[in-house]
Amino acid sequence: MSADKETLYKQLADAVVDMDEDQAVATAEAVATAGLDAYEAIEKGLSAGMERAGQLFDEEEYFIPELLMCSDAMYAGMDVLKPHIRQDAVAEKRRVVIGVIQGDTHDIGKNLVKIMLETSGFDVTDLGRDIPPASFVQTAQEIDADIIALSTLMTTTMDGMGEVVRQLNDQGVRDKFKVIVGGGPISQGFADRIGADGYAVNAADAVRLARRLTSPEVAAA
Amino acid sequence: MGTDAMKPLERLAAYGKGEAIDRLPCVPIVGNTAARVIGVKVGDFRGNGPLIAQAQVAAYRKFGYDVIRIFTDLYTQAEAMGAKVHYPADETAYLEAPAISDPAEVQRLQPADPYRDGNLPHHLEAMRIAVDQVGNEVPVTGALTCPFTNASFLVGAETLARLMLKDPETVHRLCEISLDTNFRYAAAIIEAGATPSLTDAMSSSTVISPRQFKEFSLPYLKRLIDFIHGKGKSVTLHICGKTAKIWESMVEAGADCISIDNDASLIEAKLAVGNRVRLMGNVHPSAVMLQGAVEDVRRATLSCLREAHDNPKGFIVASGCSLPTEAPFENIEAMMETVRNFKVEDQ
Repeated sequence: MSADKETLYKQLADAVVDMDEDQAVATAEAVATAGLDAYEAIEKGLSAGMERAGQLFDEEEYFIPELLMCSDAMYAGMDVLKPHIRQDAVAEKRRVVIGVIQGDTHDIGKNLVKIMLETSGFDVTDLGRDIPPASFVQTAQEIDADIIALSTLMTTTMDGMGEVVRQLNDQGVRDKFKVIVGGGPISQGFADRIGADGYAVNAADAVRLARRLTSPEVAAA
Repeated sequence: MGTDAMKPLERLAAYGKGEAIDRLPCVPIVGNTAARVIGVKVGDFRGNGPLIAQAQVAAYRKFGYDVIRIFTDLYTQAEAMGAKVHYPADETAYLEAPAISDPAEVQRLQPADPYRDGNLPHHLEAMRIAVDQVGNEVPVTGALTCPFTNASFLVGAETLARLMLKDPETVHRLCEISLDTNFRYAAAIIEAGATPSLTDAMSSSTVISPRQFKEFSLPYLKRLIDFIHGKGKSVTLHICGKTAKIWESMVEAGADCISIDNDASLIEAKLAVGNRVRLMGNVHPSAVMLQGAVEDVRRATLSCLREAHDNPKGFIVASGCSLPTEAPFENIEAMMETVRNFKVEDQ
């Protein structure tokens, strides 16, 4: 039984890495039929596969097209498994609110970050693109977010990122959230200047940053 | 700009022949910053060729750089083929919706007629006016978005990315029809007395793999560049982001000059392909040109000069990509001044 389980999890992971949506669905159905723990299957199967895809992206073996296809397979498997998750199996997740800042509608980078964060066990609320600074602040408070993640590809909209930090300060809630920024024209220097907590150069880096910022030591600091 | 002894056309011609020049060519890639030079809104450029020309000629006269480029955004050809472009009042336009929402609709797409469709006629008019006013002293170019990038605007970037793996044939059809528009627009640009200036953002290795570049982008780029060469014009090809692994292919495509940005190294490019192509780059458009102080610009420009002034096929100091609209004038001037003051013997 346990060898079966490991085999199925490995098949799930491989289906994601191989960008095989049909295989991911078939294996996820087999997991459900066998009555295995759906939450564990997502974590040790689909998410593990997506993590490997992320590594391949880091190593420049995979590029954006491959990463998108891997995530399609992951979500397809997830759709099958989600209804089977037992509530008591769900660990408390760190929450992220993410979006592309107002004035910009390029969201391919933001979507990749969202995928990788979800894969890594974050609960992500995606506001979408062209989002006014106040909406980030409001949603972050509503869902009690741990992280506010801001993306832009355009230099014209970078100021909106600083505006989010200003509004958090004005409302006296800056300490409740970690603000992370990324996108084409953004640099560590810019992140420092607007008072963000971190800058990530790509989606894989965003995961590392989010993990670091929500680790118990940092979060308590 | 009274400080330069030579005009850009003279300088570039002499530089190409290895003769003495007053300074290295320099191109801070001014796009919509030109609106600020004449105090108009970026949105006013829409459908107004004379205003684009007035702004670009005024910007050239103010800063004295070596190429005028008629450009407002990357979407002009896709728009002429049916993509929806949003025009904010005073910011660069952006793609609101691709030309088709379902890849199956690809057969509905037609190549654009540059004399009739979208804003292309206005851009051509801007080129004609600029050529008429200053074409005897400075090259006038027209921005042309290359097949693969244009294809991404026709169907949407994420859809195109997935199609590359799921349905490569449709990607080729989208590139082919984009190339068809490119041919027509390139011919019209040349007829207007200008030169096409090629830009291909989505072909970057930040987005697609070098192997995918060879499969989906290179064949079309090569045909486009052959076409432009056939009309007697040389070609500058700009690709943003990471490009080191496709420099060979950019050369193979036939580019005479490759323009690279900050995710790429001028020194490495010089060593890899500098004996076959001219290089152009790569002062950071946002971190340095937009947000930096004059001293930062001077330092970054000098660093580019030191890295590539001795490139065997020549070097044009430039920003890594189009300047953000609000790039301060003093930073553009600082870039020009640094190049004017740079003497190769100092090195």
